[in-house]
Amino acid sequence: MQKVIETVLIGLSTGSIYALMSLAIVLVWRSTRVVNFAQAGQAMLSTYIGYEIATRSEVFWLGLVFAIAAGALIGAGVDYFFMRVLFKHATTGPAAVVAPVIATLGLLGLIRSAVGLIWGGDLRSIPAPVSRDGYTIGDTTLPFSPLNTLIIVSVCLVLIAISILFTRTNLGLALRASAYAPEIAQLAGIKTAQTRTIGWAIAGGVGGIAGMLITSYNFLSPNSLDLLLVFGFIAAVIGGLESMVGSVVGALILGVGLTFILNYVGTSLTFISGFLVLIVVLLVKPEGILGSRKGRRA
Amino acid sequence: MIGKNRRKRTWFAAAVLAAGSLVATSLPAHAETGVSASEIKLGITLPLTGAASPGYNKVGDAMNAYFKYVNDNGGVYGRKITLIQKNDEYSPTLAVAKTNELILKDKVFALVGSLGTANHKAVAKSVGLQRRGIPDLFINTGFSGFADKKVYGTTFPLFPSYYMEAKIMAEFIKDNYAGKTLGLVYQNDDFGSDAVKGFAQAGLKFDVTIPYTSGTQSASTAQTWVSQLAAGKAQVVVMFGVTSATGPLLAVAAAAKYAPQWILGSVGGDATTLRALGVPAAVLTGAQGASFLPSPGDTSDEYVKLFQEVNAKYNNNVAFDNNVLVGMNTAMLTVQALRAAGQNLTRRGLIRAIQSKGSKFASAGLAPLNWSSSSQVGYNGYWFGQYDSAGNMKPLSGGVVVYTTDNAKGAVVKSNYKRPAMPAKGLPNNS
Amino acid sequence: MRKRLLFFILLGWVLLIVGDRVDELRVYQGAQISMYAIALSSIVLLTGYSGQVSLGNGAMMAVGGYAAALTLNNLQTPIWFAFLMSILASAIFGALLGASAARLSGPYLAGTTLALAVGLPALANQFGFLGGEQGILFDVGFPPERFGEEFSQYKWFFWIATFIALISLFITSNILHSRFGRTWRAIRGNSLAAELAGVHSARMKVLAFTISSAIAGLAGAVLAMTISLVSPGAYTLSLSFALVTGAVLAGISSLPGVMLGAVILVAIPEFADVVAHRLGDSEKVITHLPGLIVSVLLILSVIFTPNGPGENLRKHRKKKSAH
Repeated sequence: MQKVIETVLIGLSTGSIYALMSLAIVLVWRSTRVVNFAQAGQAMLSTYIGYEIATRSEVFWLGLVFAIAAGALIGAGVDYFFMRVLFKHATTGPAAVVAPVIATLGLLGLIRSAVGLIWGGDLRSIPAPVSRDGYTIGDTTLPFSPLNTLIIVSVCLVLIAISILFTRTNLGLALRASAYAPEIAQLAGIKTAQTRTIGWAIAGGVGGIAGMLITSYNFLSPNSLDLLLVFGFIAAVIGGLESMVGSVVGALILGVGLTFILNYVGTSLTFISGFLVLIVVLLVKPEGILGSRKGRRA
Repeated sequence: MIGKNRRKRTWFAAAVLAAGSLVATSLPAHAETGVSASEIKLGITLPLTGAASPGYNKVGDAMNAYFKYVNDNGGVYGRKITLIQKNDEYSPTLAVAKTNELILKDKVFALVGSLGTANHKAVAKSVGLQRRGIPDLFINTGFSGFADKKVYGTTFPLFPSYYMEAKIMAEFIKDNYAGKTLGLVYQNDDFGSDAVKGFAQAGLKFDVTIPYTSGTQSASTAQTWVSQLAAGKAQVVVMFGVTSATGPLLAVAAAAKYAPQWILGSVGGDATTLRALGVPAAVLTGAQGASFLPSPGDTSDEYVKLFQEVNAKYNNNVAFDNNVLVGMNTAMLTVQALRAAGQNLTRRGLIRAIQSKGSKFASAGLAPLNWSSSSQVGYNGYWFGQYDSAGNMKPLSGGVVVYTTDNAKGAVVKSNYKRPAMPAKGLPNNS
Repeated sequence: MRKRLLFFILLGWVLLIVGDRVDELRVYQGAQISMYAIALSSIVLLTGYSGQVSLGNGAMMAVGGYAAALTLNNLQTPIWFAFLMSILASAIFGALLGASAARLSGPYLAGTTLALAVGLPALANQFGFLGGEQGILFDVGFPPERFGEEFSQYKWFFWIATFIALISLFITSNILHSRFGRTWRAIRGNSLAAELAGVHSARMKVLAFTISSAIAGLAGAVLAMTISLVSPGAYTLSLSFALVTGAVLAGISSLPGVMLGAVILVAIPEFADVVAHRLGDSEKVITHLPGLIVSVLLILSVIFTPNGPGENLRKHRKKKSAH
């Protein structure tokens, strides 16, 4: 029984990090109809910037702030200087379907090589802002520490902040409108191009948080966030790719599910189980666990 | 009309293909590939980028630093050594492609220090190292299969095999921790399973065994290992994994206040890298490990002291860890092998020289070297120590005791080997 | 059809002569080019024609490579049978995958196949007979003695790879020029209209997946031959990405383009190496510049010539003839 509880706790903490990445993927998808494969790369670059600030100032929180800001700037920049140009050119022919996927993959490679050029390939770590020692109940120590709590709390805060933004502010209304019906939104006087860039910026900032949190826990290298992208994407699809709440729920389910497989079956099967989960969800409930019935199939 | 255009383009593509392949023609043959009056060209493939690169990406530069030091002091019989590094990203496909480039384009004399078991198996077979007589020196893996002379006749392993390491470790555990509950975490591939076979040969049974797949290691995976170990109440835990798996394991266990006696395998036991991975010093202190080299922090060791000086002068003074030590030690052995092969350097001569004189080469290694006409095995022993608070491995009470064994069923014996003194200024003068 | 056959025979003859005139490294790279050409043609068929984006080609290649190696090692069959089994195994795999995934649209399919490319090779670690991380040897043996002493292993690889590539490209080009090719293009252009015209679009997509996977599997077996080994590390995510890059650089819907794309894939790392060494001796630059160059090329080509260099030429010509 203790093992089951521990597995769930570890899974929730892992899932929370997936949740941030899948949230970022969903935000971009909603605003642009693009799955941004460079999201992990952007997060990685933001984390390196956050790492520089955090190690120099020796204040984790300052690093986090800079990572969020850098992530937002990078996100906005990618949309403004990159996606806009792409959509201007690659709109016809067989490549129109492929172009965004490939362009973001190219961007991932670009960021990774650039980070390698600047920082090299060494592993780095950022000291955690709170204790990593597990809570003790009686004489058993749980594999769950204040750091895990911090991660889960951060995810909740991000989620609350974003839902307030989307439901209570004019900007949020504009974001939702341009995601739902861009032409109508434009007619209604919303600058859709601008709101789209803002969507990318928010996603970039969320990615920055994910990178900083996972690095206070794991290590940082030009490749260290690659798997986060894959799991983040799977989580986003489980949630329906449209729904932000769905993506978070999907991420938590994925985190707990994979930890159970890790704990009870074996490590070699974790990756392939991610794929199998994806296939099963797409076959059984293609609109995602909380998604609306539309747009999944060709 | 469209059909015609398409055909034209097809012809164009074919022309490009043909032109692309017709770039160079072969050079006339000369005395020995990769050797001129003033230069000896050597090659290495290793992961410089990618998930497997951290730590290992320092080996090539360290070798180069030592070669530069030797070159500045007269080289090898007046010839300067050039080491060409190629990035294989730890993929066998790239390792083969890059090795072909080294051999066919850069025309290196020999390969030295190449890294990775799967990669090197592919390279040896596909490139045909043995058939073409290409020397393949001091490879950076402990897979016991490479000591098979029939298949890898020109390959000289340097590290004791993982199999030997496990056998020796089993004796150590039986001697020191009899009756304790034992745990084992190992990488589920050639490297880990070689070790598992060694433990089985020595008759050591573990109460909790946790295999993991290379590439899946992370803090969250490590948490599942720790829960399993703690649930099994393991008192002594052996870790046979890479550094990026050992790091999270130690850190997570510390956070869970789970503190067994750790015994770290040589591959994942590099203290500098572990500390960089966020393992608190307090956790590493008291952990035990095996090594065939002196501790990289032990400046009282003449070899380590010299290598640190070379590192400061020729290697931008990067953090001096086990990877740098291994690189420089490999380079020093290479220089001796080249000298032993004589002024008239040939590939055959180099291989013969290592077989006849290699066991006498001076190196930082504390275990004996075993190259001979009948054996391709390099070091065959380990000593056990304990990490101190500075991350240096210190011998247990009674000083450094090296145990040796073989790749078969031979016993583990205490060795009285005394390594050769370092040549003056660390510049080999053998012949 | 007959003209096409003649062309391929002629191309084979030219390559045979070229293979005799160039040095060993070029011969080896020729084998790699042939392997990439096969792999790229599988992407052209799937993405360029049927409009489905797959990032999982590395996984398909792994299925083919392992099937070939297991056949050769366990049944001691002739080489050609091992290659045949690689086609069969990956076709079955592709059909299964296609049946479950072909209904998905662009990004969903891309992501799903990405997860596959990450997950599948790791399976080798789970099952002992797949040889784990160090893989299993795949040895097609030495060239037959009647070719003489001078005939190197590289040339043997080159001959086999090129022979397979020519046959495979010939068959693929016939498929693409057949009714199937036209139907795929119709579905890609407007699947609703195609359905109305009586095309069973889902079934056609699964078919595209199956054939593409079979070709990729064959490429995987050829890759295994050139490195004499199958292992998870040989079929990484970067291989899948490299293939997509090559396909885009060459023009995603042009079969002749695959030859150009394959040459580019082999030439870029060498070219990047030269540039890196020119720019300075810094190890960091030499290590990371090749990746940077490839990424920039990919981005530029997807923005400015998304449908391949051929498309722009055609447009250019159209404009001219309009005047």
